[in-house]
Amino acid sequence: MPLINLPAFAADLLTDFARLGTLRVDTPVIQPAEPFLDMAGEDLRRRIFMTESETGKSLCLRPEFTIPVCLRHIETATGTPQRYSYLGEIFRQRREGANEFYQAGIEDLGETDVASADARAIGDAIAILTARLPGKRLDVTLGDQSVFEAVVAACGLPAGWQKRLIHAFGNPNQIEALLTRLSSPQPVTGLSAEIEALLASGDDATLIAHLDETMEATGYSTNASRSPKEIAARLKEKRALEKTALDGRTLAVLREFLSLNMPLADAPAALFTFAQKSGLTLDGALSRFDARVAALGNAGVDAKTLTYRAAFGRPLDYYTGMVFEIVIEGSSAVLAGGGRFDRLMTLLGAKERIPAVGFALWLDRMEQALAKLKGEGAQ
Amino acid sequence: MTITIALPSKGRMKDDASAIFEKAGLKIVAVGNERSYRGRVEGLDDVEIAFLSASEISREIGSGSIDFGVTGEDLIREGLSEADARVEFCARLGFGHADVVVAVPEIWLDVDTMADLGDVAADFRARHGRRLAIATKYWRLTQQFFSSQHGIQLYRIVESLGATEGAPASGSADIIVDITSTGSTLKANHLKILSDGIMLRSQACLVRARKAGHTDDPLVARIIGAVQGAVA
Repeated sequence: MPLINLPAFAADLLTDFARLGTLRVDTPVIQPAEPFLDMAGEDLRRRIFMTESETGKSLCLRPEFTIPVCLRHIETATGTPQRYSYLGEIFRQRREGANEFYQAGIEDLGETDVASADARAIGDAIAILTARLPGKRLDVTLGDQSVFEAVVAACGLPAGWQKRLIHAFGNPNQIEALLTRLSSPQPVTGLSAEIEALLASGDDATLIAHLDETMEATGYSTNASRSPKEIAARLKEKRALEKTALDGRTLAVLREFLSLNMPLADAPAALFTFAQKSGLTLDGALSRFDARVAALGNAGVDAKTLTYRAAFGRPLDYYTGMVFEIVIEGSSAVLAGGGRFDRLMTLLGAKERIPAVGFALWLDRMEQALAKLKGEGAQ
Repeated sequence: MTITIALPSKGRMKDDASAIFEKAGLKIVAVGNERSYRGRVEGLDDVEIAFLSASEISREIGSGSIDFGVTGEDLIREGLSEADARVEFCARLGFGHADVVVAVPEIWLDVDTMADLGDVAADFRARHGRRLAIATKYWRLTQQFFSSQHGIQLYRIVESLGATEGAPASGSADIIVDITSTGSTLKANHLKILSDGIMLRSQACLVRARKAGHTDDPLVARIIGAVQGAVA
């Protein structure tokens, strides 16, 4: 099917992808909706085009490529490592702009040399954009959730708090609200005398048995949803932490970390200084970070031109480590975005853990930038 | 220009709405027999009354095919995206009170707030192999409240068009979002409302579709003024 609205540079992109040694794949436009809603969350529902099959199965028009490419990889039982490329239309409901537009990108599945794979993804995205948008200065922002995870772990925060903080990472409002909340004690109230006594006794088995009995008596099946054991464990954790609050020093350390913002070339030294000054042991995370910066150098990317922002994350649950976005200097339109998603493949049903990294290019925004470039050239 | 006002077609809502309009000096009389779905306002020839179901009123006001409607705020906010840009809430009428709430099983002793629920939701998949399931007919309100206000993304909505309160016990969902006026049905089903889980305090409202022609229409202003006066 000839597509008349395909950007003129699409053929060049495909040449780029072939030159980079990727395997071009296509996926059906009509996709099962479940995996997208499951991975991205319910909020996605109003932004995708959904329909139902005759048998009532939820279907949607492909809203992105990462999940279909990964599912295809699992279904075809292809070995790893494998680098896929794609170029095709995606469909999303947007307030402004068209509802169907082109995306292209690379998904690198199963490469165990994580630093090199990260560097290659960033390097490929930069090289492609530089080739297609000659003369434009690109702003590349990089973040790394795993460094934040190492910081909250090294601060010795309770496991539940660590989870909450990591979950809020990349969302400035949520992180701020959470830090404020954790700064004051959260008392556990409203428990019956019986439960209070059971909690105080430390007799977990009896507490769990009591919850189990109550669930039986009130008609709540215990296997379908949260179990008495899970409820008791979280209740105990809340009780143990109710007088605890994030202390001023830790709060200051977290805030300082989240405010780090500098050329990537300076980040390894700055993170080392930060760790030393705050007395945190971040060795593993920092050496992985340093290895990536070194790998970027080997891939021919000048780390001085990239920005590291410690608080930078992308709002998708499945990113696990490095994330990055590329814009044209002075613009806010993201031309390329990507990151590492080591958890996604198993969430989608892969039997073994498959490390993965990838990025997507927004072809409509590249086209707009190109049109502007030509306009400037004509003047 | 003829102004169309849609009123609930049956039950308490119909009687209460008629009473307010009568108090406002806008006595409603049925056209034809008592069961007719059309009416008019005594002394105002340019006003038509349409008796519709509450959810139809929300839809018709969204499309602008009627000028005014009396219906629950919950139905308007659930039925219309960007409700405030499309309709004006002219008056709250003091009946049809119902809160849209987030309720969880009473036995979830460790869950009192939306923050607690966010924790449980974040962990749910790892523990149970699926997302936290919410039974509701309020898709839009739930998404706004969970995603925008509380940053909770990881849940799935299970559509429920009736007996929503029974969903957690039957195992078809973990928690619910539903309306409650007295809380007795929630209690009977061993559910509790989260301390910050009241999404919307709804009641019957006089709602106007924002139409350009209304701006200088004295009849529109008169209807709003009269109803506001009656509930003041």
